[in-house]
Amino acid sequence: MTIDIFWRIPTHGEPSSHRSRKPWRGDWFPGNDNLTKPGLSGGEDGTSYIDYLAEIARAAEISGFQGGLIPSFPSTDEPWVISAFLARETKTFRFMIPFQPGFLNPVVAARKTASLQRATGGRALYNIITGGGGPQQLWWGDSVAHDDRYARTTEFLDVVRGVWNGGPFSYQGKFYQVEDAGLPDPLSAEEFPEIYFSGSSDAALASASKHADYYLSWLEPFDALRDKFNRVKERTDVLGRKIQCAVRVDIVARPTEEEAWEEIRRGFDNIDPAALARFQGTGERSESVGAARQRDFRPTTINSYKDLIIEPNVWSGFSLLRGGQTQGIVGSYEQVAEQLDDLVRLGADAFILASTPHLEEAYRVGEEVLPLVRGRPSGSAVLRAVG
Amino acid sequence: MTIEFIWQLPTSGDGRYGDAGQTRRGERTASSRPPFTEGVSDPRGDRFNFLDHLHQIARAADLAGFDGIQIQNDLEGDESWIVAGYLARSSRRLKLLTEFEASRGSAVYAAKNAVSFQRFTGGRFAWQISQGGDAALRRRHGDYAADSERLPRIGEFVEVARGVLTQSPFSFKGQFFEVLDGGFNGPLANHPVPLIYLSGNTPEALRLSARSADVHILDAAPAEELKASVATLQGLAAVQGRRIAFGLRIDVLARETEDEAVHDAQRFLAQSGRAVGSTDPVVGPNLWAGFATAQTGAAASLVGSYGQVAERLTKYADIGISSFVLAAIPHFEEAYRIGEQVLPVVRSRIATQLSKAA
Repeated sequence: MTIDIFWRIPTHGEPSSHRSRKPWRGDWFPGNDNLTKPGLSGGEDGTSYIDYLAEIARAAEISGFQGGLIPSFPSTDEPWVISAFLARETKTFRFMIPFQPGFLNPVVAARKTASLQRATGGRALYNIITGGGGPQQLWWGDSVAHDDRYARTTEFLDVVRGVWNGGPFSYQGKFYQVEDAGLPDPLSAEEFPEIYFSGSSDAALASASKHADYYLSWLEPFDALRDKFNRVKERTDVLGRKIQCAVRVDIVARPTEEEAWEEIRRGFDNIDPAALARFQGTGERSESVGAARQRDFRPTTINSYKDLIIEPNVWSGFSLLRGGQTQGIVGSYEQVAEQLDDLVRLGADAFILASTPHLEEAYRVGEEVLPLVRGRPSGSAVLRAVG
Repeated sequence: MTIEFIWQLPTSGDGRYGDAGQTRRGERTASSRPPFTEGVSDPRGDRFNFLDHLHQIARAADLAGFDGIQIQNDLEGDESWIVAGYLARSSRRLKLLTEFEASRGSAVYAAKNAVSFQRFTGGRFAWQISQGGDAALRRRHGDYAADSERLPRIGEFVEVARGVLTQSPFSFKGQFFEVLDGGFNGPLANHPVPLIYLSGNTPEALRLSARSADVHILDAAPAEELKASVATLQGLAAVQGRRIAFGLRIDVLARETEDEAVHDAQRFLAQSGRAVGSTDPVVGPNLWAGFATAQTGAAASLVGSYGQVAERLTKYADIGISSFVLAAIPHFEEAYRIGEQVLPVVRSRIATQLSKAA
């Protein structure tokens, strides 16, 4: 199968470059709660941040991306709302919606999804997340424990699938029960959304093996990622379900490698020392196994941006420059494309790319990098990575 | 008192005739027969569905001068929050009164989604929280709460949503919802709580509204009967130190003359398969009970000339109704008719009364 490449919608703030957190375009950036741009924050002129997000979604679809991941965190706008708002003003953009199953009744979720499919011509897909746990989870109003939450995720998807084609479907689970349920016509005629699944623990993999189409990981050092993908595929093969793998990765791509690293260097030099100190510390612990893995790949002494280069063209400090994941690819257009092809060779079937600012970079990456990616032509064998 | 007129979106269907519940303009399904003969080409393909028609109705309500639209919790139609978001960008000022049940999931998550609605629409999102159908229907929708738990659950839902929207940190542990150190910060802080519309006629429902509602919606009935409900509920609210507003869910069938209206009303009854004249549906001045209840959910409809319907609506305003949730079949064409012929008359009569009173 060919490779699907998505973009990211910057729900948690948008500085105008990687170099500095100021100025920013949204109405907020982590660590600064001031609303500095009334024109983008629901001011009297009637515009709001959704207007800027709409620009990015259109830039992504015009540039050839499949669509975009719309991250959901405690301080971000919600992807269900963003997707519905942008349904009529996009044509091919696919809305990847992260949510935790515990937050919605599965029958309501099925109706929401089918309606969004109808509103968009089948452009909705899920990123099922099950939660890092700890105090964060009760902030959301959810008190179910970590491993139980994966059992709940499995039940949730059982019900959504069960009612999807109209039923009647009955189910007696530990977390969810329904009786003679089913989507009404014409909602029941919609295609079931593809499921991207996150989670690195054993409980997560067991749940993913039953329902996921794509197993989604942050970028990790390539050897670690290869092992992880192989483990996921072995695990799910045993359970009788073929699963694809996807990678979330930030990139800085420039005409030359020097320019790309210069972008990183300037960004690194502008980092608040306190933020760097926090980054080097152990940080706040959560139950997230994925977050712990990201920390483990990080050096403990950091004096220069170069200390965060963990392998050629891979930099491990992206979360210092903006919210989100840590590892990313830095290089010339050709180098970034080669790295992506290396990831394809070690098992990636899809990517969610991101770069700041997401609007202009959607055009740059779509025009300069995507045409250089060889990917995997349709019909060619999926090569399982060896050695 | 500001009067608002809210037009109902017919999420289950809308067409020209009395069986409109089965008609979904724009919808093409594999089983439906092609609308044109083989001799006429049809350019539409499957590019449209009923959501495109709902979009047309929302635009009609916006252009015809309504203050809002009501998006029903229609279990046989599209999901209300998705429809609300889908329509939001196409209107500049319509209130989006979105109906749902407290069984939909986490109240914190609902509140957080509501913040995005408020941010993106300039605070036009409003909630109508309903109790849902009977126990068997609720089980079909994954809701196993007992009948007696429905109102307390709505109460907790509102308390948690208001809490996280207005306080940080906010903690709550109830029978149905729990949150610890919740509340929204950064760009999500300090957005207006959606106005909360509740309904119901039981003493428990009235007590809940007295405590939790911004607006209590009454079912259509003669104005004299509703006067007592308004007084009772305002008394209960006063005990809580609150004042609430009142809404009325009523249909309208208005024509240039009363004769035309009655004629069209009888034809509608015939089209919807009911014998004309077998029982007398008229329960008050221009008020027909059970007229289009199966299609729109309203308990009764005003049937009369533009002037008569405007007069009856003004009368309801006189007894304290300030939110009118209106519908008429077909919803698209009638949005223009009511917006052009009836609303200006009601607004001007109310304005005249207010200036006299002042």
